[in-house]
Amino acid sequence: MHEVSIIQSVIKIVLEKAIECNLTKVNKVSLKIGELSGVMPECLNFAFKIGIMDTMLEGSTLEIEKVSAVAQCIDCKQEFPIDHFNKLCPCCNKFCSNIIRGYELYVNTIEGD
Amino acid sequence: MSKIKIVTNILQTNDEITLKNRRLLDEKGIYVINLMSSPGSGKTSLLERIIAKLKNDINIAVIEGDIYTTKDAMRIEAQGVPVVQINTGGACHLDGQMIKDALNTLTLDNIDLLVIENVGNLVCPAEFEIGENIKICVLSTTEGNDKPSKYPLMFEKSGAIILNKIDLIDYTDFDKKEFYKDIKSLNANADIFETSCSKNQGIDAVCVWLLSKIKNKKVKRK
Repeated sequence: MHEVSIIQSVIKIVLEKAIECNLTKVNKVSLKIGELSGVMPECLNFAFKIGIMDTMLEGSTLEIEKVSAVAQCIDCKQEFPIDHFNKLCPCCNKFCSNIIRGYELYVNTIEGD
Repeated sequence: MSKIKIVTNILQTNDEITLKNRRLLDEKGIYVINLMSSPGSGKTSLLERIIAKLKNDINIAVIEGDIYTTKDAMRIEAQGVPVVQINTGGACHLDGQMIKDALNTLTLDNIDLLVIENVGNLVCPAEFEIGENIKICVLSTTEGNDKPSKYPLMFEKSGAIILNKIDLIDYTDFDKKEFYKDIKSLNANADIFETSCSKNQGIDAVCVWLLSKIKNKKVKRK
């Protein structure tokens, strides 16, 4: 993935929201990243450290919550954990393409003063 | 200190542009393919074969994505269909904004099928929506059957997978059984076609399937 451009988008989103909420300092940024999204948290941390310099986010911490991949069977409605190579419903044993979690890529919360 | 809930998609800028692209293309009733593969799998060759076969029945337009050169666009232009070349100048995939700009230079009225040939790359193109109805991935036998398991996202997100250079399979160690097994576990609903663009094999089946997709979109629109 493109961790540097992702962090640039994150910083842009956070700054817009912080200004809207009259914050002068951001202390913490929390992201939700799905495990199928192809984004590497280690690279995000590195890009974040560089990207926040000379912004309201300088000195803030980045929290990354990984979201496990889950599918829901169209037939029996059972929710079950999946990975790229195993998407069979444990009840029906049928292939399921209804992936309900795992591709997340969003800014969840920010904390600031 | 205050905690503020944001819940904002990090790729929102691309997604918003893509949604607009999609609306415009839907309005015009154009079926859109995002064609992806490694460099050299045969995306442009496949496109040449499809255009030659279908250009008398439907109106086709093409957006060509490459890092540099207009070589592919020239090949498509020789087929007599409108084509726009995007040179990303280094970027490894196409995004919504590039497609938006390209759409502005195309006459969209009366187009039935728009094929967007993405930059040759098995990784990043799969991660960015550009306004397509379907992603199609080409894999050639000379690349090896291990590619779907090594680059799962692209094969997972593709609605159809085209196994090209099938005429060369006996000269490679490509294991078709393993390939089908991997695709089944990754993306059991994908349509799979076997083609040889250089020998003009298997193209008819792809074209028949494609025509039914285009027709479906038009019916839904009415």
